[in-house]
Amino acid sequence: MLPKKSKFSFDGTFSMARFALTKKASIYNRDMYKSHIRILLLLLLSLSAAPLTFGQGSADGDPALGEKLFKNNCAQCHAYDDAVVVGPGLKGIEERRDYQWLKEWIQNPAAVIASGDDYAVELYEKYNKTQMTAFQSFGDAEISGILAYVKQANEAAPVAADGGAGTAAAATADSGSSSVFNIVLIALLVIMGLVLVALLAVLNLLSQITKADGGEIDTRGFGERISGGLKNVFQNATVRNAIVVLFLLFGAKATFDGLYSIGVHQGYAPTQPIPFSHKLHAGDMEINCAYCHTGVYKGKQAGIPSASICMNCHNTIKQGSPNIQKIYTALETDQPIEWVRVHNLPDLAYFNHSQHTAVAGLDCENCHGEIPQMEVVEQRHSLTMGWCIDCHRQTDVNAKGNAYYDALLEAHNSASSENMKVEDIGGLECARCHY
Amino acid sequence: MDILKNKVSLLSIVLLGLMASSCNDPNKTGWEFAPNMYNSRAYEAQTQWRSNSINPHGMNMRLPVEGTVARVTHPTEFVQDDGSVVSDLMIYDTSADSLEWAANNLVNPIPWSEEVEDEGKVLYQRNCMHCHGSKGAGDGKVAEIYKGVPNYASDALSSISGGHIFHVITHGKGRMWPHAAQVTPEERWKIVHYVQRLQLGI
Repeated sequence: MLPKKSKFSFDGTFSMARFALTKKASIYNRDMYKSHIRILLLLLLSLSAAPLTFGQGSADGDPALGEKLFKNNCAQCHAYDDAVVVGPGLKGIEERRDYQWLKEWIQNPAAVIASGDDYAVELYEKYNKTQMTAFQSFGDAEISGILAYVKQANEAAPVAADGGAGTAAAATADSGSSSVFNIVLIALLVIMGLVLVALLAVLNLLSQITKADGGEIDTRGFGERISGGLKNVFQNATVRNAIVVLFLLFGAKATFDGLYSIGVHQGYAPTQPIPFSHKLHAGDMEINCAYCHTGVYKGKQAGIPSASICMNCHNTIKQGSPNIQKIYTALETDQPIEWVRVHNLPDLAYFNHSQHTAVAGLDCENCHGEIPQMEVVEQRHSLTMGWCIDCHRQTDVNAKGNAYYDALLEAHNSASSENMKVEDIGGLECARCHY
Repeated sequence: MDILKNKVSLLSIVLLGLMASSCNDPNKTGWEFAPNMYNSRAYEAQTQWRSNSINPHGMNMRLPVEGTVARVTHPTEFVQDDGSVVSDLMIYDTSADSLEWAANNLVNPIPWSEEVEDEGKVLYQRNCMHCHGSKGAGDGKVAEIYKGVPNYASDALSSISGGHIFHVITHGKGRMWPHAAQVTPEERWKIVHYVQRLQLGI
């Protein structure tokens, strides 16, 4: 569809051309020729003017093109409605600013701010001096398309809100099903209790009937009868001996377990100065371990991240939280956050992270357990020597693409048909870890 | 005998209870045979169990002397395909306000190869993906909250030079903070190769 304005300019050119023809037709050829050039020029001008005059706002834009452009380029910082994302929401943008200003701004925001335009400077100050990316490649068609999309999306917004209410209802139904489950569970427990009471009553009745058949009826109370029965049981020598033996066995087991747990920190999950959740960061947010523990592929220590790494995200996210404020305080007062170390090998054992992560290609979870599911990090594995050695016995050496292992692999393969395990290259040597 | 048994059972219950409680306290490491081996007398970088009276903040770790150049970020040499050697990662030539200069002048000193791009991809996944998304569309999980993460393939960014990308990783831009402390220059240039792949938006 041709926009009205360009149609008008076409008409104008043609009428002028006709005028030129009628006026100059009777004069000689040269002038005729000239007038032809003029016509051509005018035509060319009108054609080149067409894209310039094409689209001066949402009315002239293609919302489908605009939607694609908006989602690809703008949606990261701007909402189509009045919500503030990074920059202002774009609802009613055309009432706020005229088209020419918008075009200049989109193509080069820095220049508009530098020109001292009051509105632009105010905008820049209001949004924390975050400068918008310049979209120099956007012409009239693109800009009016985006404006058209913004307008269309806002007009369609009430319908979308209805859809939102529907999903909310679905969510409540979902939570309702879990409460139904609880009710069923409680009802089952009650029924089981009732069955138990009924069974006891039947038992009581039956014992009374047998007693009545054999002789006197036991008239003692329920408690008395139980204690009497227990007394009888404990007076039995076999039962007494069995109890003593069992007690000794359990005691021995508990003692050995206790001795074996000396120096093993398994289950250690200390409270940290900031209740940092690995479940949230490494799990839900899918932040890679190495983003914060920067040394894990490079050196012996994985490293505890400095507060500046927290700030890469928390300069914006959850600023108001008292726990995030602790990071700010640490930075402002230059006082480090005193994290409590969880995994700690004794000095008698040498362990190097990079050897296991970068060279062997092991995942962090191999030794640290499912950190992305842990609210509070705990030492999942025992980290004992036996545990290390088990793995060294079972694990193949990751020799692929590592020239260091070429000669070793050749020597191993000439002597054995099995895969080369860590133990085959000295993974069980004392001095490999203890020196 | 009954009384003795009662005492024994009482004692055992108390003992078991004590053991159970001592094992389950998540704030305790449990018994140690040689605690000095866990809480080292010697200074260790990542273990801090008592305040250090010599260093600032009572920490074992301390900042390197001002002007120290970390070995890992020292200029390294790369032999290019034609045999010429590039020996400067150009990390000392950039300052935070030299984005335009960097974009026009910095050239990736690491020649492209499939392996280098794969390494860049791994580094990208570790350091960038949670915001920039697996395909660089700015749709990482963190970006949903952090906001304002652009699409590499967007019209404004698809033609940006490698020098520009290197500078942005080093010094940050807009809402993105500098990542020079986390990613070494060599790693940055490798990431640049992969980001330039993502700019194509394929």
